Amino acid sequence: MKKTILLAAVFLMSLTGFAQDADALVGVWEPGHGKAKVKIDQIDDKFYGKIVWLKEPNDPDTGEPKLDKNNPDKSMQDVPLRGYRILKDFEYKGDGVWEEGTIYDPEKGETYDCVITMKDENTLDIRGYIGVKTFGRSDTWRRLKMKKK
Amino acid sequence: MKHTYLKLILFSFILLGSFFTFAQEDEEDWDMYDNFELEDDTPVKRYAAPTVSGMSPQRFISVSFDAQMPYNYEFSEVRFPRSTGQGFDVDESNPGVRESGTADFTGGLRINTNIPIISKSSFVWQSGINFMDTRYSISPDAEFGESRFTLPNGNEARGLGQILNEDGLRNINWTNTLFFPMNETEFIVFQGQMDMSGNFALDSFQPLNTIRYSAAAVYGRRVNDYFRWGVGVSRTYRVGNMNYVPVIMYDWTSKNRKWGTEILFPARAYVRYNFSKNSLLLAGFDLEGQSYHIDEYSINGNSYEIRRGEVRPKIEFQTKLTGYIWASIQAGYRWDWSYDADELDSSRDFFRGFFGNQDFGMINTLENPFYFNVGLNFVSP
Repeated sequence: MKKTILLAAVFLMSLTGFAQDADALVGVWEPGHGKAKVKIDQIDDKFYGKIVWLKEPNDPDTGEPKLDKNNPDKSMQDVPLRGYRILKDFEYKGDGVWEEGTIYDPEKGETYDCVITMKDENTLDIRGYIGVKTFGRSDTWRRLKMKKK
Repeated sequence: MKHTYLKLILFSFILLGSFFTFAQEDEEDWDMYDNFELEDDTPVKRYAAPTVSGMSPQRFISVSFDAQMPYNYEFSEVRFPRSTGQGFDVDESNPGVRESGTADFTGGLRINTNIPIISKSSFVWQSGINFMDTRYSISPDAEFGESRFTLPNGNEARGLGQILNEDGLRNINWTNTLFFPMNETEFIVFQGQMDMSGNFALDSFQPLNTIRYSAAAVYGRRVNDYFRWGVGVSRTYRVGNMNYVPVIMYDWTSKNRKWGTEILFPARAYVRYNFSKNSLLLAGFDLEGQSYHIDEYSINGNSYEIRRGEVRPKIEFQTKLTGYIWASIQAGYRWDWSYDADELDSSRDFFRGFFGNQDFGMINTLENPFYFNVGLNFVSP
């Protein structure tokens, strides 16, 4: 009986550890170009990231909030970029790696396969690629925190 | 009945709950994100991107077929300046024509790869193996047998027209490109190339000391998302023989993303018109060339090489077929810059440049035909 309880405890602890590792992705992040901030949330077992801040929030041509005008789907071209979900469907695979997701590049209107690797607790390696990881490009994202008042 | 009420109440709660979740998302306080700062406030270094908006997509893998329309050629006699001390003076424009005819077809398969080995914001290394096959179908004015001649070492050799007709010319190339952004604006590009070119067959390569090396270094500034420029220097075989030339990069796109330039002079220079995100037109020129080892004429440990250089004014249409597969169609004019030949002492190349006076082994003339090229490309995101 003691053994069973011990085993269950170890199992539960490892599960909790796994969940904590997975949660490490949740937060607000800044892509390498510094022109945006992206908030990553967990919904059920998957992770999603949306643009929550833009260095240049308005389109210089129209003065209106920037829209997703490069989206190949015309019905999406009027959707504001702020609030747009650019990371979708990531699943935690262990060892600080989230896969099976996609990343959307609003500047090109293209969606790529993507793998996220946590380099340290405040740094992500985000690699967008086509089909195989060789054909891709990596960017470094850094964690943001609320300023202390 | 009691159960039905309970279910209804429960359903209402779920509905209201999801509504509030939506409402919360809609009413997100975007301003709060102004107050987010880096957790680790070590200064962040930002880097210039390796391209500018609107440029034609970079090709990871490209397969194309190139074909020149028929043209006439005139080849001089084959001389051996290193073996016999006798060649053609560089100013000699019309040496006695020894062989003439018509190349009914010139062209073949071209396979190019440019694979990212390391691709990060701070450094990009791309590497690719390229293969270019040039087949000739030649109708000589006289029988091929009549162009045979005796080499200085006593062996009999085929005329160049017969060699081209039977063997063709081939080029295998390995190119490495390194992109080093120094900061958000400045960058340096290094490119190194190794080329094996000649009338070799794929199962019997020519000597490795005939591999020719090219390199280029460019310092550039990416002024904004729509414009970058650069200057540099290159050691190149694009004019046939080895040369050192300045390089000018000028990539620009108009704010409405319709017009632009893609210039890496002297290798290529285009004006670009983007019909849409998925199709574009380039008008300009390519400069292409290599030094092709002709095994049969390479005697006494020397390498006999055709210095093939051509300027190709052209119009090229590129369009997306599906996903990352694009088609390209080119039509243009193949203008002969050089088809002369040199005998290289112990296979070591020499620098003649534009003003050197080293004797040529052959002085050849090609008429200039139209050419076409169709290709399929797997392009970069």
